[in-house]
Amino acid sequence: MRTLDWWVLCSSVVFIIVYGLWRSRDTKSVNQYLLAGKTMPWYAMALSIMATQASAITFISTSGQAYVDGMRFVQFYFGLPLAMIIVSATAVPLFHRANVYTAYEYLEQRFDAKTRALVSLIFLIQRGLAVGVALYAPAIVLTVILGWPDQWTTIIMGTIVVAYTTFGGIKAVTWTDFQQMLVMFLGLFVSLGMAWRLLPADVSLTDALHLAGAAGRLNAVVTSFDWNDRYNLWTGLIGGMFLALAYFGCDQSQVQRYLTGKSIAQSRLSLLFNAVAKIPMQFFILSIGALVFVFYTFEKPPIVFHQVEMANLARTGEYAGLSKRYDAAFERRREAARRYLSSRNETSLAGYRGAQAEFESTRKAGIKLVEKTSGSSFNDTNYIFLSFVLGYLPAGIVGLVLAAILAAAMSTISAEINSLSTVTVIDVYQRHIHKDASDGHYLLVSRLATVFWGAYAVVTAGYGRSLGSLIEAVNMLGSFFYGGLLGVFVLAFAAPRVGGTAAFMAVLVGEAVIFILHYTTGIAFLWYNVIGCVVVVCTGWLLSAAGIGRRLAA
Amino acid sequence: MKPNDIDPPPVLGSWGRVYAAVCLYLIVLILLFALYTRTFTP
Repeated sequence: MRTLDWWVLCSSVVFIIVYGLWRSRDTKSVNQYLLAGKTMPWYAMALSIMATQASAITFISTSGQAYVDGMRFVQFYFGLPLAMIIVSATAVPLFHRANVYTAYEYLEQRFDAKTRALVSLIFLIQRGLAVGVALYAPAIVLTVILGWPDQWTTIIMGTIVVAYTTFGGIKAVTWTDFQQMLVMFLGLFVSLGMAWRLLPADVSLTDALHLAGAAGRLNAVVTSFDWNDRYNLWTGLIGGMFLALAYFGCDQSQVQRYLTGKSIAQSRLSLLFNAVAKIPMQFFILSIGALVFVFYTFEKPPIVFHQVEMANLARTGEYAGLSKRYDAAFERRREAARRYLSSRNETSLAGYRGAQAEFESTRKAGIKLVEKTSGSSFNDTNYIFLSFVLGYLPAGIVGLVLAAILAAAMSTISAEINSLSTVTVIDVYQRHIHKDASDGHYLLVSRLATVFWGAYAVVTAGYGRSLGSLIEAVNMLGSFFYGGLLGVFVLAFAAPRVGGTAAFMAVLVGEAVIFILHYTTGIAFLWYNVIGCVVVVCTGWLLSAAGIGRRLAA
Repeated sequence: MKPNDIDPPPVLGSWGRVYAAVCLYLIVLILLFALYTRTFTP
């Protein structure tokens, strides 16, 4: 990091936070603190929703995912526009008219207090686990830049986010998200441009795409169907739609964004903006990973991208032999790539793919050696993009890209902490502990709850270290719970005869089925959302039809 | 708010048309991605 990078990074972060606090200076009531007084315009909500989803994980892990596995991850988002349409048409008007602070408050209006309590608890567990992972991702960035232990960087990052979220509430969160998303867009385009510009002079963009495609890195649409395949067109359209339905329809961290809207139309526009912009954004991020892959075809990458583990690897006795094999495999791949570019035929393609397979196998041997030395599992996907940024981008641009990564991190963490504190105060404290306190009392408790969840995120962030690709870890974690959450909201919206006890029992059955499937089958996690939802809806409907819910309630 | 409290969208006249446009956009996007994959993956 050079001085100019530090200036760009620090000034961006400070400006965004000060701007967010300034915009939220009139926050004096719980309604303003948790719902911004329902005054937000659609464009602020739209970018806030995007920023909440686009965490640091999105930047560093998604691009790394394209480097190791290709672009098929983009299919994960194919169901999102369909989900946005359904949520806009159903949940948005219902939540607005119910005049609620949280999505779970609506469940008590529709079912009963125990269903609201159960679903709130599921949200607190699921989002509470995810917030630690979200905080760990920027800690990786700061650890790589500064060389500090990730515990320290986690505490620093957590303190900054908790400070502005506690003081400004959702208005500060939304307006900082807005600015953070603009920084992210800028960082994204600059990264893509730099990855292209840094390719060798005789390798055009088309050449780069042919090389990435030949190595299986441009597989943006996979039409074959396999239950165990995580990313194909069908898991994306169906599983991805259910996951997005659950995320935008039932997850308070998203619902709270569009509940701040001035009107139903404004909230709908914010969601539909995401329907249009999200897939191209993910495509661009994955394209950066694919171009970085081509860049490292001509510029020798380290055997592993984690600097500390690389240094440890270099101290092992096996390193000399491994390094020699790795260098030779890299040279063979580079030559094979050049031959493929000069004449694209079956022979040169087979040669390039063979050299690529040999290179990957040598890198895997390095990763296995790291695992053997450290005694734990190791995955460097999250370090690939960072290694490229820090090693090859010019002064100023590094600061901008890092500002974008930290902006992404802060926007997600602040939204998650804000929603966790909202559910804690509205669905737990106000509903079950202290019903008729003053507005000022609930405002104070909301701020204390924000501090609590921030501290919780810092404490649990360390678990992110052992999770491999963080983007997959977060989505998998969500899939355990989202199907059940979605199912109970489908019952609430579309099954007027199903009562509270039947819905409550159905959620428990749905969650049990998901966990049994996870531990007994190899079904791809995106299907958990579909299965969980279907099981909850069918169980709720059957229990209600059989009158079991009413008998149990009696 | 009451059930007739939904303002029309700023473009295309009705929300139904906006939803149809988003569906059409998704289909076009998937077709473009499929074309991209086929073009560069031998």
